[in-house]
Amino acid sequence: MSPVRRGATLPIHNRIRVLRVERGMSRAQLAELIEVNPQTVGALERGDHYPSLDLAFRICDVFSLPVEAVFSRTEFGPLSTELYKPRKEA
Amino acid sequence: MPTGTLLERYEDHRARRFLRNEELTAGWLPGWRNRKRRRILACAVVALLIGTFSVSVASYFTMTVAIAWIPLTLLFLPVWTGLQIVSGRQSDAPRLALDEREIAERNSARSIGLSVAQSLLLLPIFALIFGSVLDSVDHRQLAYSAGGFALASILFSGCLPAVLLAWNQPDDDPED
Repeated sequence: MSPVRRGATLPIHNRIRVLRVERGMSRAQLAELIEVNPQTVGALERGDHYPSLDLAFRICDVFSLPVEAVFSRTEFGPLSTELYKPRKEA
Repeated sequence: MPTGTLLERYEDHRARRFLRNEELTAGWLPGWRNRKRRRILACAVVALLIGTFSVSVASYFTMTVAIAWIPLTLLFLPVWTGLQIVSGRQSDAPRLALDEREIAERNSARSIGLSVAQSLLLLPIFALIFGSVLDSVDHRQLAYSAGGFALASILFSGCLPAVLLAWNQPDDDPED
């Protein structure tokens, strides 16, 4: 059995703050819905804590979005830019 | 018919009791629920515990110094209780009362506490083992001093997770 080695920690960016504010939710309200401490929501938004898969799914359920719309390995651009970016001609 | 094992039911009971107490104390000491004040309490706890180490070592040379355990304990109790109240007792909270971030932080702090306990307890252990075979050592004073040091070590390493968690706990995020 090969020894277990922990690789470099890769970043997990998220859009939790944008989505929460867009829905007019406070940190405490979101925390109640996903059953965590409000400080944990703050830590998630700041990127100080990477969620488990279970917590990630619970967050996505609240926003009714797929995981890739809330979490990403690369930094998210502004939502408005992504929504209104010019369509490429086929 | 009760479900779950005895251990699970006990954990449930502990979590419910913890949450009840947490609800009761959540509004206590509101002026102390910020990072600066929590750090003041954390430093005070560490200072008092360092005092207990000093007293235990000094009691080998002068037994009367041991009386200082009383004022130190009397000071320690309210400061420690205050620290526990303002930091939400995360360090000794049952698993079911914490979320995944809090459990990860608590486990990390407890792991440090355990390592510190193992290292600190080696000092009085070796002092007793080697001191017992040396005729030049006052065995009675040594036993008293090493016992005090072991007690201070247990107290220090037991309080260390709470001190670390309180020290690192950030201020509440401002609402948007």
